[in-house]
Amino acid sequence: MSERLGFYFDQTRCTGCKACQIACKDTNDLPVGVLWRRVAEYAGGSWRTHGRTFSPQVFAYYVSMACNHCDDPVCTEVCPTTAMHRDDDGVIVVDEELCVGCRYCEWSCPYSAPQFDADAGHMTKCDLCADERAEGREPACVLACPSRALDWGPIDELRAAHGDIDAVEPLPDGSVVQPNLVIKPHRDAEPVGAGRGSIANPEEV
Amino acid sequence: MNVADLPMAVFTVLAQMSVGAFLVLGAVQVLARTVGGRSAEQVDRLTDPILYAVGASLVLGFAASALHLGNPINALNVLRNLGSSWLSAEIALGIAFGALGLLFTLLQHFKRGSLALRQALASVTAVVGLSLVAAMSMIYYSVDIAPAWSTWATPVQFLTTTVLLGALAVGTALMATILVRRRADAAQAAGSEEQAEDLALITTTLKGVAAVSVTMLGVIFLVTPLQLNLLSQGGPAAVESAQVLSGAWFVTRLVLVFLGAGLMGLFIYRFATVTREDPRPLATVVSVAFGLVLVGELIGRTLFYESMTRIGM
Repeated sequence: MSERLGFYFDQTRCTGCKACQIACKDTNDLPVGVLWRRVAEYAGGSWRTHGRTFSPQVFAYYVSMACNHCDDPVCTEVCPTTAMHRDDDGVIVVDEELCVGCRYCEWSCPYSAPQFDADAGHMTKCDLCADERAEGREPACVLACPSRALDWGPIDELRAAHGDIDAVEPLPDGSVVQPNLVIKPHRDAEPVGAGRGSIANPEEV
Repeated sequence: MNVADLPMAVFTVLAQMSVGAFLVLGAVQVLARTVGGRSAEQVDRLTDPILYAVGASLVLGFAASALHLGNPINALNVLRNLGSSWLSAEIALGIAFGALGLLFTLLQHFKRGSLALRQALASVTAVVGLSLVAAMSMIYYSVDIAPAWSTWATPVQFLTTTVLLGALAVGTALMATILVRRRADAAQAAGSEEQAEDLALITTTLKGVAAVSVTMLGVIFLVTPLQLNLLSQGGPAAVESAQVLSGAWFVTRLVLVFLGAGLMGLFIYRFATVTREDPRPLATVVSVAFGLVLVGELIGRTLFYESMTRIGM
Protein backbone atom coordinates (compact mmCIF):
# COMPACT_ATOMS: atom_id res chain seq x y z
CA MET A 1 0.00 0.00 0.00
CA SER A 2 1.38 3.34 -1.02
CA GLU A 3 1.35 6.31 1.29
CA ARG A 4 -2.12 7.61 2.16
CA LEU A 5 -3.18 10.70 0.24
CA GLY A 6 -5.27 13.44 1.77
CA PHE A 7 -6.39 17.06 1.65
CA TYR A 8 -5.22 20.16 3.48
CA PHE A 9 -7.72 22.96 4.03
CA ASP A 10 -6.60 26.37 5.23
CA GLN A 11 -9.78 27.75 6.73
CA THR A 12 -8.16 31.11 7.47
CA ARG A 13 -7.88 31.73 3.75
CA CYS A 14 -11.23 30.43 2.50
CA THR A 15 -13.63 33.16 1.37
CA GLY A 16 -16.46 30.78 0.48
CA CYS A 17 -16.25 31.54 -3.27
CA LYS A 18 -16.88 27.88 -4.19
CA ALA A 19 -14.40 27.90 -7.07
CA CYS A 20 -13.21 24.47 -5.78
CA GLN A 21 -16.73 23.09 -5.91
CA ILE A 22 -17.33 24.36 -9.44
CA ALA A 23 -13.91 23.28 -10.73
CA CYS A 24 -14.61 19.80 -9.35
CA LYS A 25 -18.02 19.70 -10.94
CA ASP A 26 -16.64 20.85 -14.27
CA THR A 27 -13.57 18.61 -14.37
CA ASN A 28 -15.51 15.51 -13.35
CA ASP A 29 -18.54 16.45 -15.44
CA LEU A 30 -20.97 15.95 -12.55
CA PRO A 31 -24.73 16.05 -13.17
CA VAL A 32 -27.15 18.39 -11.43
CA GLY A 33 -27.55 17.39 -7.78
CA VAL A 34 -24.14 15.75 -7.46
CA LEU A 35 -21.32 17.61 -5.74
CA TRP A 36 -18.10 15.81 -4.89
CA ARG A 37 -16.84 18.93 -3.13
CA ARG A 38 -19.13 21.22 -1.19
CA VAL A 39 -18.57 24.47 0.71
CA ALA A 40 -20.64 24.95 3.84
CA GLU A 41 -21.02 28.25 5.63
CA TYR A 42 -21.12 27.64 9.35
CA ALA A 43 -22.50 30.59 11.29
CA GLY A 44 -23.83 31.45 14.69
CA GLY A 45 -23.51 33.92 17.49
CA SER A 46 -24.14 34.97 21.04
CA TRP A 47 -23.77 38.13 23.16
CA ARG A 48 -20.75 39.65 24.78
CA THR A 49 -21.33 41.59 27.99
CA HIS A 50 -19.31 44.57 29.20
CA GLY A 51 -20.79 45.63 32.49
CA ARG A 52 -24.34 46.62 31.56
CA THR A 53 -23.70 46.66 27.83
CA PHE A 54 -24.47 43.81 25.45
CA SER A 55 -22.83 43.61 22.05
CA PRO A 56 -23.24 40.92 19.40
CA GLN A 57 -20.54 38.30 19.14
CA VAL A 58 -20.99 36.48 15.87
CA PHE A 59 -18.99 34.07 13.80
CA ALA A 60 -19.15 32.73 10.26
CA TYR A 61 -16.64 30.60 8.45
CA TYR A 62 -16.47 28.17 5.56
CA VAL A 63 -15.75 24.47 5.40
CA SER A 64 -14.77 23.08 2.00
CA MET A 65 -15.24 19.34 2.09
CA ALA A 66 -14.77 16.47 -0.35
CA CYS A 67 -13.82 12.88 0.49
CA ASN A 68 -11.11 12.44 3.10
CA HIS A 69 -10.22 8.91 1.96
CA CYS A 70 -10.39 7.85 5.61
CA ASP A 71 -8.09 5.29 7.19
CA ASP A 72 -11.11 3.63 8.78
CA PRO A 73 -13.79 4.36 6.18
CA VAL A 74 -17.37 3.67 7.21
CA CYS A 75 -18.51 3.68 3.56
CA THR A 76 -16.47 0.60 2.61
CA GLU A 77 -17.52 -1.10 5.84
CA VAL A 78 -21.25 -0.73 5.25
CA CYS A 79 -21.27 -1.18 1.46
CA PRO A 80 -23.04 -4.50 0.82
CA THR A 81 -21.52 -5.00 -2.62
CA THR A 82 -17.85 -4.09 -2.00
CA ALA A 83 -18.31 -1.53 -4.80
CA MET A 84 -16.98 1.05 -2.36
CA HIS A 85 -13.35 0.09 -1.93
CA ARG A 86 -9.82 1.38 -1.51
CA ASP A 87 -7.94 1.62 -4.76
CA ASP A 88 -4.32 0.60 -5.26
CA ASP A 89 -3.16 4.14 -4.54
CA GLY A 90 -5.06 4.27 -1.23
CA VAL A 91 -7.91 6.42 -2.55
CA ILE A 92 -11.51 5.33 -1.82
CA VAL A 93 -13.47 4.83 -5.04
CA VAL A 94 -16.75 3.28 -6.27
CA ASP A 95 -16.77 0.36 -8.67
CA GLU A 96 -19.79 1.35 -10.73
CA GLU A 97 -20.08 -2.16 -12.14
CA LEU A 98 -20.74 -3.54 -8.65
CA CYS A 99 -22.74 -0.73 -7.03
CA VAL A 100 -26.43 -1.46 -6.52
CA GLY A 101 -27.35 2.10 -5.53
CA CYS A 102 -28.73 1.28 -2.07
CA ARG A 103 -27.28 4.53 -0.64
CA TYR A 104 -26.22 2.95 2.66
CA CYS A 105 -22.78 4.64 2.27
CA GLU A 106 -24.53 7.98 1.81
CA TRP A 107 -26.36 7.52 5.12
CA SER A 108 -23.18 6.57 6.94
CA CYS A 109 -20.59 9.11 5.77
CA PRO A 110 -20.38 12.20 7.99
CA TYR A 111 -18.78 14.19 5.14
CA SER A 112 -21.46 13.35 2.51
CA ALA A 113 -18.66 12.13 0.25
CA PRO A 114 -20.62 9.36 -1.50
CA GLN A 115 -23.10 11.09 -3.80
CA PHE A 116 -25.94 9.35 -5.60
CA ASP A 117 -26.28 9.83 -9.34
CA ALA A 118 -30.01 9.20 -9.83
CA ASP A 119 -29.82 8.87 -13.62
CA ALA A 120 -26.93 6.41 -13.55
CA GLY A 121 -28.44 4.55 -10.57
CA HIS A 122 -25.20 4.24 -8.65
CA MET A 123 -23.03 6.11 -6.18
CA THR A 124 -20.23 8.42 -7.25
CA LYS A 125 -17.53 10.19 -5.29
CA CYS A 126 -14.28 12.13 -5.26
CA ASP A 127 -11.38 10.01 -6.50
CA LEU A 128 -8.89 12.79 -5.83
CA CYS A 129 -9.04 13.55 -9.58
CA ALA A 130 -7.51 10.23 -10.58
CA ASP A 131 -7.54 11.18 -14.27
CA GLU A 132 -5.80 14.48 -13.61
CA ARG A 133 -3.21 12.86 -11.36
CA ALA A 134 -2.55 10.21 -14.02
CA GLU A 135 -1.61 13.07 -16.36
CA GLY A 136 0.66 14.58 -13.74
CA ARG A 137 -1.74 17.39 -12.88
CA GLU A 138 -3.15 18.34 -9.48
CA PRO A 139 -6.76 17.84 -8.35
CA ALA A 140 -9.07 20.46 -9.88
CA CYS A 141 -10.24 21.89 -6.54
CA VAL A 142 -6.68 22.52 -5.35
CA LEU A 143 -5.74 24.24 -8.61
CA ALA A 144 -8.88 26.37 -8.73
CA CYS A 145 -8.69 28.00 -5.28
CA PRO A 146 -7.89 31.69 -5.76
CA SER A 147 -6.60 32.04 -2.20
CA ARG A 148 -4.65 28.78 -2.24
CA ALA A 149 -6.61 27.43 0.72
CA LEU A 150 -6.49 23.83 -0.52
CA ASP A 151 -3.62 21.43 -0.95
CA TRP A 152 -3.29 17.68 -1.31
CA GLY A 153 -0.58 15.07 -1.05
CA PRO A 154 0.78 12.32 1.18
CA ILE A 155 -0.96 12.86 4.49
CA ASP A 156 2.26 12.52 6.51
CA GLU A 157 3.78 15.44 4.63
CA LEU A 158 0.63 17.54 5.09
CA ARG A 159 0.57 16.78 8.82
CA ALA A 160 4.29 17.58 9.17
CA ALA A 161 3.73 20.94 7.52
CA HIS A 162 0.35 21.94 8.96
CA GLY A 163 -0.35 19.95 12.14
CA ASP A 164 -2.98 17.30 12.75
CA ILE A 165 -6.31 19.04 13.37
CA ASP A 166 -8.91 17.13 11.37
CA ALA A 167 -12.20 18.57 12.63
CA VAL A 168 -13.99 21.77 13.62
CA GLU A 169 -17.74 22.37 13.71
CA PRO A 170 -19.83 21.21 11.87
CA LEU A 171 -17.58 18.22 11.17
CA PRO A 172 -17.71 15.21 13.49
CA ASP A 173 -14.83 14.09 15.68
CA GLY A 174 -12.26 12.46 13.42
CA SER A 175 -11.43 9.63 15.79
CA VAL A 176 -14.10 7.31 14.39
CA VAL A 177 -13.26 7.26 10.70
CA GLN A 178 -9.67 8.63 10.79
CA PRO A 179 -9.96 11.09 7.90
CA ASN A 180 -6.86 11.96 5.89
CA LEU A 181 -7.55 15.62 6.37
CA VAL A 182 -5.63 18.51 7.89
CA ILE A 183 -7.41 21.74 8.76
CA LYS A 184 -5.87 25.05 9.71
CA PRO A 185 -8.83 26.37 11.72
CA HIS A 186 -10.42 29.75 11.22
CA ARG A 187 -9.89 32.29 14.00
CA ASP A 188 -13.48 31.77 15.16
CA ALA A 189 -13.71 28.05 14.43
CA GLU A 190 -15.95 26.31 16.93
CA PRO A 191 -14.79 23.08 18.58
CA VAL A 192 -16.43 19.83 17.49
CA GLY A 193 -19.80 19.26 19.12
CA ALA A 194 -20.15 22.83 20.44
CA GLY A 195 -23.46 23.14 18.61
CA ARG A 196 -23.61 26.92 18.85
CA GLY A 197 -24.03 27.51 15.13
CA SER A 198 -25.69 26.00 12.11
CA ILE A 199 -24.98 25.49 8.43
CA ALA A 200 -26.28 28.68 6.84
CA ASN A 201 -26.52 27.27 3.30
CA PRO A 202 -28.02 23.79 3.75
CA GLU A 203 -29.58 23.90 0.27
CA GLU A 204 -26.10 24.20 -1.25
CA VAL A 205 -24.45 21.31 0.54
CA MET B 1 -44.13 11.99 4.65
CA ASN B 2 -41.71 11.27 1.86
CA VAL B 3 -42.86 8.93 -0.91
CA ALA B 4 -39.26 8.08 -1.82
CA ASP B 5 -38.96 6.26 1.52
CA LEU B 6 -41.96 4.02 0.81
CA PRO B 7 -40.09 1.10 -0.84
CA MET B 8 -37.87 0.66 2.21
CA ALA B 9 -40.80 1.18 4.59
CA VAL B 10 -42.86 -1.46 2.75
CA PHE B 11 -39.91 -3.86 2.66
CA THR B 12 -39.00 -3.59 6.34
CA VAL B 13 -42.61 -3.64 7.58
CA LEU B 14 -43.67 -6.59 5.39
CA ALA B 15 -40.53 -8.61 6.16
CA GLN B 16 -41.00 -7.98 9.88
CA MET B 17 -44.68 -8.88 9.61
CA SER B 18 -43.71 -12.16 7.91
CA VAL B 19 -41.29 -13.02 10.69
CA GLY B 20 -43.87 -12.03 13.31
CA ALA B 21 -46.61 -14.10 11.68
CA PHE B 22 -44.30 -17.12 11.57
CA LEU B 23 -43.48 -16.67 15.26
CA VAL B 24 -47.15 -16.25 16.21
CA LEU B 25 -48.11 -19.34 14.19
CA GLY B 26 -45.45 -21.23 16.12
CA ALA B 27 -46.86 -19.94 19.40
CA VAL B 28 -50.37 -20.96 18.32
CA GLN B 29 -49.10 -24.45 17.46
CA VAL B 30 -47.32 -24.91 20.77
CA LEU B 31 -50.04 -23.42 22.97
CA ALA B 32 -52.98 -25.06 21.21
CA ARG B 33 -51.39 -28.50 21.54
CA THR B 34 -50.02 -28.24 25.06
CA VAL B 35 -52.33 -25.88 26.97
CA GLY B 36 -55.34 -26.29 24.67
CA GLY B 37 -54.93 -30.04 24.22
CA ARG B 38 -55.83 -29.81 20.53
CA SER B 39 -54.78 -32.37 17.97
CA ALA B 40 -51.87 -31.60 15.65
CA GLU B 41 -54.17 -32.35 12.74
CA GLN B 42 -56.66 -29.70 13.78
CA VAL B 43 -54.05 -27.01 14.42
CA ASP B 44 -52.31 -27.78 11.12
CA ARG B 45 -55.63 -27.54 9.30
CA LEU B 46 -55.90 -23.92 10.42
CA THR B 47 -52.29 -22.76 10.40
CA ASP B 48 -50.93 -24.40 7.23
CA PRO B 49 -52.80 -22.11 4.77
CA ILE B 50 -51.41 -19.07 6.58
CA LEU B 51 -47.85 -20.18 5.81
CA TYR B 52 -48.50 -19.40 2.14
CA ALA B 53 -49.57 -15.86 3.05
CA VAL B 54 -46.42 -15.42 5.15
CA GLY B 55 -44.31 -16.39 2.12
CA ALA B 56 -46.25 -14.09 -0.18
CA SER B 57 -45.80 -11.13 2.13
CA LEU B 58 -42.04 -11.77 2.38
CA VAL B 59 -41.72 -11.98 -1.42
CA LEU B 60 -43.77 -8.79 -1.79
CA GLY B 61 -41.47 -7.07 0.69
CA PHE B 62 -38.37 -8.09 -1.21
CA ALA B 63 -39.95 -6.89 -4.46
CA ALA B 64 -40.62 -3.50 -2.85
CA SER B 65 -37.02 -3.27 -1.65
CA ALA B 66 -35.80 -3.53 -5.24
CA LEU B 67 -37.65 -0.27 -6.00
CA HIS B 68 -35.31 1.50 -3.59
CA LEU B 69 -32.21 0.40 -5.47
CA GLY B 70 -30.65 2.67 -8.06
CA ASN B 71 -29.49 -0.31 -10.07
CA PRO B 72 -31.55 -3.42 -9.21
CA ILE B 73 -29.72 -5.41 -11.92
CA ASN B 74 -26.79 -5.56 -9.51
CA ALA B 75 -29.04 -6.78 -6.67
CA LEU B 76 -27.19 -10.06 -6.20
CA ASN B 77 -24.00 -8.15 -5.44
CA VAL B 78 -25.42 -7.17 -2.05
CA LEU B 79 -24.23 -10.52 -0.70
CA ARG B 80 -20.59 -9.73 -1.46
CA ASN B 81 -19.74 -8.00 1.80
CA LEU B 82 -20.96 -10.52 4.36
CA GLY B 83 -19.18 -10.17 7.66
CA SER B 84 -18.79 -6.41 7.32
CA SER B 85 -22.02 -4.91 6.02
CA TRP B 86 -25.24 -5.35 8.00
CA LEU B 87 -27.10 -4.89 4.74
CA SER B 88 -25.45 -8.00 3.31
CA ALA B 89 -26.39 -9.85 6.49
CA GLU B 90 -29.97 -8.62 6.23
CA ILE B 91 -30.43 -9.91 2.69
CA ALA B 92 -28.66 -13.21 3.44
CA LEU B 93 -30.86 -13.79 6.50
CA GLY B 94 -33.94 -12.72 4.55
CA ILE B 95 -33.19 -15.31 1.86
CA ALA B 96 -32.41 -17.94 4.50
CA PHE B 97 -35.68 -17.21 6.33
CA GLY B 98 -37.60 -17.45 3.05
CA ALA B 99 -35.88 -20.67 1.96
CA LEU B 100 -36.29 -22.41 5.33
CA GLY B 101 -39.89 -21.22 5.53
CA LEU B 102 -40.58 -22.57 2.06
CA LEU B 103 -39.02 -25.92 2.94
CA PHE B 104 -41.09 -26.10 6.13
CA THR B 105 -44.26 -25.17 4.25
CA LEU B 106 -43.64 -27.89 1.66
CA LEU B 107 -42.99 -30.51 4.35
CA GLN B 108 -46.17 -29.42 6.15
CA HIS B 109 -48.19 -29.42 2.95
CA PHE B 110 -47.17 -32.92 1.91
CA LYS B 111 -46.83 -34.11 5.52
CA ARG B 112 -43.33 -35.34 4.82
CA GLY B 113 -40.76 -35.94 7.54
CA SER B 114 -41.44 -36.71 11.18
CA LEU B 115 -43.23 -34.26 13.43
CA ALA B 116 -40.01 -33.76 15.41
CA LEU B 117 -38.09 -32.92 12.22
CA ARG B 118 -40.71 -30.41 11.14
CA GLN B 119 -40.78 -28.84 14.60
CA ALA B 120 -37.00 -28.55 14.61
CA LEU B 121 -37.07 -26.94 11.16
CA ALA B 122 -39.74 -24.49 12.29
CA SER B 123 -37.67 -23.56 15.34
CA VAL B 124 -34.58 -22.92 13.21
CA THR B 125 -36.69 -20.84 10.79
CA ALA B 126 -38.03 -18.79 13.69
CA VAL B 127 -34.52 -18.13 15.03
CA VAL B 128 -33.32 -17.10 11.55
CA GLY B 129 -36.37 -14.83 11.28
CA LEU B 130 -35.54 -13.14 14.58
CA SER B 131 -31.94 -12.76 13.39
CA LEU B 132 -33.29 -11.07 10.28
CA VAL B 133 -35.12 -8.51 12.43
CA ALA B 134 -31.94 -8.06 14.48
CA ALA B 135 -29.81 -7.48 11.34
CA MET B 136 -32.39 -5.00 10.04
CA SER B 137 -32.17 -3.11 13.33
CA MET B 138 -28.38 -3.11 13.20
CA ILE B 139 -28.34 -1.50 9.75
CA TYR B 140 -29.86 1.62 11.27
CA TYR B 141 -28.58 1.31 14.82
CA SER B 142 -24.98 1.28 13.54
CA VAL B 143 -25.30 4.58 11.68
CA ASP B 144 -23.60 6.53 14.47
CA ILE B 145 -24.12 9.91 12.83
CA ALA B 146 -27.93 9.56 12.78
CA PRO B 147 -29.22 10.27 16.32
CA ALA B 148 -32.76 9.12 15.46
CA TRP B 149 -31.49 5.71 14.36
CA SER B 150 -28.61 4.86 16.66
CA THR B 151 -30.71 4.41 19.80
CA TRP B 152 -32.12 1.39 21.60
CA ALA B 153 -35.50 2.49 20.28
CA THR B 154 -34.68 1.14 16.80
CA PRO B 155 -34.50 -2.57 17.72
CA VAL B 156 -37.40 -2.18 20.15
CA GLN B 157 -39.59 -0.56 17.50
CA PHE B 158 -38.69 -3.16 14.89
CA LEU B 159 -39.48 -5.97 17.30
CA THR B 160 -42.76 -4.30 18.26
CA THR B 161 -43.78 -4.04 14.61
CA THR B 162 -42.80 -7.69 14.14
CA VAL B 163 -44.95 -8.98 16.98
CA LEU B 164 -47.88 -6.58 16.60
CA LEU B 165 -48.36 -6.98 12.86
CA GLY B 166 -47.52 -10.67 13.01
CA ALA B 167 -50.27 -11.28 15.58
CA LEU B 168 -52.91 -9.23 13.77
CA ALA B 169 -51.97 -10.75 10.41
CA VAL B 170 -52.40 -14.25 11.81
CA GLY B 171 -55.72 -13.24 13.39
CA THR B 172 -56.97 -11.88 10.07
CA ALA B 173 -55.70 -14.89 8.15
CA LEU B 174 -57.43 -17.27 10.58
CA MET B 175 -60.74 -15.48 10.07
CA ALA B 176 -60.22 -15.56 6.31
CA THR B 177 -59.52 -19.29 6.49
CA ILE B 178 -62.69 -20.00 8.47
CA LEU B 179 -64.80 -17.87 6.13
CA VAL B 180 -63.46 -19.68 3.05
CA ARG B 181 -64.04 -23.04 4.76
CA ARG B 182 -67.56 -22.04 5.72
CA ARG B 183 -68.40 -21.17 2.17
CA ALA B 184 -66.93 -24.44 0.89
CA ASP B 185 -68.69 -26.46 3.61
CA ALA B 186 -71.99 -24.69 3.01
CA ALA B 187 -71.79 -25.78 -0.62
CA GLN B 188 -71.25 -29.36 0.46
CA ALA B 189 -73.54 -29.07 3.50
CA ALA B 190 -71.01 -30.92 5.64
CA GLY B 191 -68.35 -30.57 8.33
CA SER B 192 -70.32 -28.50 10.82
CA GLU B 193 -68.78 -30.24 13.84
CA GLU B 194 -65.27 -29.68 12.54
CA GLN B 195 -66.22 -26.09 11.89
CA ALA B 196 -67.41 -25.50 15.44
CA GLU B 197 -64.17 -27.01 16.77
CA ASP B 198 -62.11 -24.75 14.54
CA LEU B 199 -64.10 -21.69 15.52
CA ALA B 200 -63.49 -22.45 19.18
CA LEU B 201 -59.75 -22.65 18.58
CA ILE B 202 -59.83 -19.46 16.54
CA THR B 203 -61.70 -17.46 19.16
CA THR B 204 -59.19 -18.54 21.80
CA THR B 205 -56.35 -17.56 19.48
CA LEU B 206 -57.97 -14.21 18.77
CA LYS B 207 -58.13 -13.44 22.47
CA GLY B 208 -54.40 -14.03 22.57
CA VAL B 209 -53.91 -11.84 19.49
CA ALA B 210 -55.91 -9.07 21.16
CA ALA B 211 -53.89 -9.34 24.36
CA VAL B 212 -50.61 -9.21 22.42
CA SER B 213 -51.85 -6.21 20.41
CA VAL B 214 -52.75 -4.20 23.48
CA THR B 215 -49.40 -5.06 25.08
CA MET B 216 -47.47 -3.97 21.97
CA LEU B 217 -49.54 -0.79 21.88
CA GLY B 218 -48.35 -0.15 25.42
CA VAL B 219 -44.74 -0.64 24.30
CA ILE B 220 -45.21 1.88 21.45
CA PHE B 221 -46.72 4.43 23.80
CA LEU B 222 -43.82 3.89 26.20
CA VAL B 223 -41.01 4.04 23.64
CA THR B 224 -42.33 7.16 21.90
CA PRO B 225 -42.01 9.68 24.77
CA LEU B 226 -38.73 8.18 25.96
CA GLN B 227 -37.20 8.45 22.49
CA LEU B 228 -38.51 11.98 21.94
CA ASN B 229 -37.09 12.98 25.30
CA LEU B 230 -33.72 11.53 24.33
CA LEU B 231 -33.69 13.28 20.94
CA SER B 232 -34.85 16.66 22.20
CA GLN B 233 -31.92 16.72 24.64
CA GLY B 234 -29.42 16.00 21.87
CA GLY B 235 -27.69 18.23 19.33
CA PRO B 236 -29.30 20.13 16.43
CA ALA B 237 -29.56 16.98 14.26
CA ALA B 238 -31.34 15.10 17.05
CA VAL B 239 -33.73 17.98 17.68
CA GLU B 240 -34.60 18.11 13.98
CA SER B 241 -35.37 14.37 14.11
CA ALA B 242 -37.60 14.89 17.13
CA GLN B 243 -39.65 17.41 15.15
CA VAL B 244 -40.39 14.82 12.45
CA LEU B 245 -41.34 12.33 15.16
CA SER B 246 -43.89 14.67 16.69
CA GLY B 247 -45.48 16.12 13.57
CA ALA B 248 -49.01 15.60 12.20
CA TRP B 249 -48.12 12.39 10.34
CA PHE B 250 -46.63 10.91 13.48
CA VAL B 251 -49.78 11.71 15.44
CA THR B 252 -51.81 10.12 12.62
CA ARG B 253 -49.70 6.99 12.96
CA LEU B 254 -50.21 6.82 16.73
CA VAL B 255 -53.97 7.34 16.36
CA LEU B 256 -54.25 4.59 13.73
CA VAL B 257 -52.26 2.12 15.80
CA PHE B 258 -54.27 3.06 18.90
CA LEU B 259 -57.57 2.51 17.07
CA GLY B 260 -56.39 -0.76 15.53
CA ALA B 261 -54.45 -2.39 18.35
CA GLY B 262 -56.16 -0.72 21.30
CA LEU B 263 -59.82 -0.04 20.61
CA MET B 264 -60.30 -2.87 18.12
CA GLY B 265 -58.21 -5.08 20.37
CA LEU B 266 -60.77 -4.61 23.13
CA PHE B 267 -63.60 -5.37 20.70
CA ILE B 268 -61.86 -8.52 19.55
CA TYR B 269 -61.29 -9.67 23.11
CA ARG B 270 -64.98 -9.07 23.92
CA PHE B 271 -66.44 -10.55 20.72
CA ALA B 272 -64.14 -13.56 20.71
CA THR B 273 -65.48 -14.78 24.06
CA VAL B 274 -68.78 -15.67 22.47
CA THR B 275 -68.90 -18.46 19.92
CA ARG B 276 -71.18 -16.90 17.41
CA GLU B 277 -73.08 -18.57 14.66
CA ASP B 278 -71.90 -16.09 12.10
CA PRO B 279 -68.16 -15.33 12.31
CA ARG B 280 -68.38 -12.48 9.78
CA PRO B 281 -68.70 -9.53 12.20
CA LEU B 282 -65.67 -10.79 14.10
CA ALA B 283 -63.78 -11.21 10.82
CA THR B 284 -64.59 -7.62 9.93
CA VAL B 285 -63.37 -6.26 13.25
CA VAL B 286 -60.14 -8.27 13.08
CA SER B 287 -59.33 -7.28 9.51
CA VAL B 288 -60.13 -3.61 10.13
CA ALA B 289 -57.82 -3.69 13.16
CA PHE B 290 -55.11 -5.27 11.03
CA GLY B 291 -55.60 -2.71 8.25
CA LEU B 292 -55.44 0.25 10.64
CA VAL B 293 -52.27 -1.01 12.29
CA LEU B 294 -50.64 -1.89 8.96
CA VAL B 295 -51.24 1.60 7.57
CA GLY B 296 -50.15 3.13 10.89
CA GLU B 297 -46.93 1.14 10.92
CA LEU B 298 -46.18 1.99 7.27
CA ILE B 299 -46.61 5.69 8.03
CA GLY B 300 -44.46 5.25 11.14
CA ARG B 301 -41.72 3.55 9.14
CA THR B 302 -41.59 6.22 6.42
CA LEU B 303 -41.25 8.76 9.23
CA PHE B 304 -38.44 6.65 10.68
CA TYR B 305 -36.56 7.22 7.42
CA GLU B 306 -37.57 10.86 7.23
CA SER B 307 -36.39 11.47 10.80
CA MET B 308 -32.85 10.58 9.80
CA THR B 309 -30.90 13.80 10.17
CA ARG B 310 -27.16 13.41 10.24
CA ILE B 311 -24.37 14.92 12.25
CA GLY B 312 -21.64 16.33 10.01
CA MET B 313 -22.04 18.01 6.66
